[in-house]
Amino acid sequence: MTMNAALEGKVYPDATFTVEPERVNLFCAAIGEERDIVPPTFATAAEFAVMPFIVGDAELGLDFTRAVHAEQEYEWRRPFRMGEALTVRSRIASIRQKAGNGFLTIETEMLDRGGALVVLARATMIERGA
Amino acid sequence: MPESRLRFEDLFVGYEIPGRATHILRRQIKTYADASGDQNPLHQDDDFARAVGFPGIIAHGMLTMGELAHCLTDWLGDPTAMVRLKVQFRAPVFVDDVIVAEGRVKSLDPKARTAVLDVWVRVEREGNTGYPIRKGEAVVGFAER
Repeated sequence: MTMNAALEGKVYPDATFTVEPERVNLFCAAIGEERDIVPPTFATAAEFAVMPFIVGDAELGLDFTRAVHAEQEYEWRRPFRMGEALTVRSRIASIRQKAGNGFLTIETEMLDRGGALVVLARATMIERGA
Repeated sequence: MPESRLRFEDLFVGYEIPGRATHILRRQIKTYADASGDQNPLHQDDDFARAVGFPGIIAHGMLTMGELAHCLTDWLGDPTAMVRLKVQFRAPVFVDDVIVAEGRVKSLDPKARTAVLDVWVRVEREGNTGYPIRKGEAVVGFAER
């Protein structure tokens, strides 16, 4: 089975993600960060607020057990602020088939309460051919 | 902790960013799973990892990208200087691997006060220490202060 390429452009429902101090501390512990900051790549935790929608999207048909993360990009407009609530919105930027493998690129916007972009994430996964 | 911020004027093309080495531990991978929300069994369950062709669990690609970003923010002394980071995941990282995040200044834009960096992560593993298992590009910015 291959992914449904007709779903390019599909936007998933918004999720809310709060930058909780306990979670930031755990993240800092995982990457050895000792300063009192929100590490830039903590944005990954916000992306995972939406990931279940994509993995569980029967219409898309991504086989997550054959998927590997191939590429990741972040653009930061400013750092996350401790305690702030963000709106997380993902869309399918592209679906491609190449040499028997599927390539899925998801773009995720993380917006502040005023709707301003804080972080843009772009994740590309390869679904290896069965 | 006092922070010494790097200045744009300190940089030149070819400048080598101090490396950051990390010994990847099983409990660190578990901590990362809980912190990031990525509970894929590939990073927790050896039997699952073997069933999909690995010798055991592998570290999250994003954990190693986090280590790479940590290398950069330590060097910059200022996490707000991160503008962009793009990384390709080229090979797996296993429990007990020692990874080293490094980078080099590729180009400078004095007008925008930004620097483009080549960045990578390699594994110090027997017989092969040079292959960049992560490879990418970063943009860092130095606002006038």
